Amino acid sequence: MTALLEVSGVSKTFDGFKAIDNLSFSIGEPELRAVIGPNGAGKTTFMDLVTGKTRPDSGRILWGERNLDLTRLSESRIARAGIGRKFQKPTVFEAQSVWENLRLALAGTRGPLTVLARRRAREDAIHTLAERVGLEDHLAHRAGTLSHGQKQWLEIGMLLAADPRLLLVDEPAAGMTSAERERTTTMLIEAARSHAVVVVEHDMDFVRRLDCRVTVLHEGRVLAEGSIDHVTSDPQVIDVYLGRDGDA
Amino acid sequence: MTGTPLIRRPDVITVLAMLTLMTIGATFLAEAGLISTSFVKTLGKTLCLCLAAVAMDLVWGYTGILSLGHMAFFGIGGYAIGMWLMRARTEDIVAAQLAQRPLPPTPGEVDQAAAVQIFGVVGSDEFPWMWLFADILWVQLAAIVLVPGLLALVFGWLAFRSRVTGVYLSILTQAGTLALSLWLFQNDSGLRGNNGLSGLQNIPGLTHIPQSTLSLWFLWASAAALAVTYLLAAWTVSGRFGSVVRGIRDDEARVRFLGYDVEGFKLVVFTVTAMITGVAGALYYPQAGIVNPAEIAPIASIYLAVWVAIGGRGRLWGAILGAAAVSLLSSWFTGGGAPDIDLGFYTIRWTDWWLVLLGLGFVAITLFAPDGLAGLIERALGRLRPNRQGDFGPDQGALRREETRSEPAQ
Repeated sequence: MTALLEVSGVSKTFDGFKAIDNLSFSIGEPELRAVIGPNGAGKTTFMDLVTGKTRPDSGRILWGERNLDLTRLSESRIARAGIGRKFQKPTVFEAQSVWENLRLALAGTRGPLTVLARRRAREDAIHTLAERVGLEDHLAHRAGTLSHGQKQWLEIGMLLAADPRLLLVDEPAAGMTSAERERTTTMLIEAARSHAVVVVEHDMDFVRRLDCRVTVLHEGRVLAEGSIDHVTSDPQVIDVYLGRDGDA
Repeated sequence: MTGTPLIRRPDVITVLAMLTLMTIGATFLAEAGLISTSFVKTLGKTLCLCLAAVAMDLVWGYTGILSLGHMAFFGIGGYAIGMWLMRARTEDIVAAQLAQRPLPPTPGEVDQAAAVQIFGVVGSDEFPWMWLFADILWVQLAAIVLVPGLLALVFGWLAFRSRVTGVYLSILTQAGTLALSLWLFQNDSGLRGNNGLSGLQNIPGLTHIPQSTLSLWFLWASAAALAVTYLLAAWTVSGRFGSVVRGIRDDEARVRFLGYDVEGFKLVVFTVTAMITGVAGALYYPQAGIVNPAEIAPIASIYLAVWVAIGGRGRLWGAILGAAAVSLLSSWFTGGGAPDIDLGFYTIRWTDWWLVLLGLGFVAITLFAPDGLAGLIERALGRLRPNRQGDFGPDQGALRREETRSEPAQ
């Protein structure tokens, strides 16, 4: 399995604070990977770096077979290259319907003039997606009227719609009920059969249920990597993360 | 779920029907002598302002770019057609005068005499470079859309590429407008300084047609332009393109992460709306008769935003309503139509107090009807969409489902 995404020696400093410190990370395709770490470990900054929202001070982020350097591409270009992102707080277009949200995300042309000219919506694809994320009865509703959990699913649906090769998912289970969590777990595991999926999560139980390789971040560096049992028995991890965080 | 076909949408039907009724009605009333030529011109000019307001709604109400410079494009459109109107007509007049002389004048002599006629007022006796093709109608017609389009393209490319947004972009557009108007005020700008271009109501080659007829022609042309633009704009914002630009308005970073080139979309909307505004100006100024740099002053563009805000952002028909209502009321109040109010100790003259009234109206709309007049009408028709922006938190959405059942998708 060759690496789809390879982050090597990346550092990023915000006003003297080292958010990411000489981080190296790689993920293959398909693969499900969980990234955990205490607050301020650099999880979200890591996603920002990969998606082009933030530029690293040093290091390289290489993508795909042709080793594209993502640090030189714009956000929209990176998204078109095949990296999709789901934000921590659900960010869907609340003033637009579920149907419109999915249509926006659906893979296809992205240029202003082709978007204007090609107007036929792919009804079937949109319905299939809505079914996959359990929103088939809500297609006509405005996204703003959905519950928190449904918004999270809509966003996952939008992620799947774009059919990226790598899905970056930031705290998908935050604020969900246990039934919603279970369904989310299933969605992610299913997606990871054909895609590379990186899940950033706080919740240890949720990560345990994903049953995948885990990377522990701390102060912008990789502290440990391996199965969930391996990392939770690592004394360093217990010290900085589990020991301090009573609920896990 | 692709929505109602354009031609069956209630707003499209209403706008087209109102335009048709107004045009036919005005034509009959004018032929019967019941309304004056100047009132027909006021109606025609109002339609042009509505056209500019539709463009403003596209760029601000839909895409979220608060451009406070679009009336500059309106003025440029006026100048572009005004150059041809003024030059061609002056040459006709001069040629007629010179024809009295024993020797028929050469084209060069006519040119020279026309230049003296036009530019004598700013102390020049030759056509500046800008007027090189001003006697060729199609060049000036092309300039109506090309000059605003090109300016908007360059300005937009620089601004959007640097990710200038929000109030900073608004300030930049104001600065650009101010710079253009200050430059036009100079006598050596090549456009007659603060005198502007005048006599534009006289169409060369059509001098035998009375103004009462010409004014109707312009009314029809303005109505047709508005109808066509409305259809095009409604078509544009109803599909995926509209979805993308509304997404840009609400959360442009998110649109970027979906792979859309936000800057490209903004640039297309900014440029196309500048061209529409240019056309609106080119139809407006022959009805107004004169265009001068004061028309491009920053305040004009702010008015345009005020009309759209009063009418209701994000609804194309709201923009038309706002522009029509405010500009017609404005000409009623400032044109002496409104009777003065004698309070005994003070007389309220509306020519002085209209702006205060407009300001108060704007504040009232902003406070009590943020969706503008269009929002009030929708509320009266029971069609106002519930405001559901924001996160309800877990497990609350199910309770709200009832409220959304009948909501149509756009």
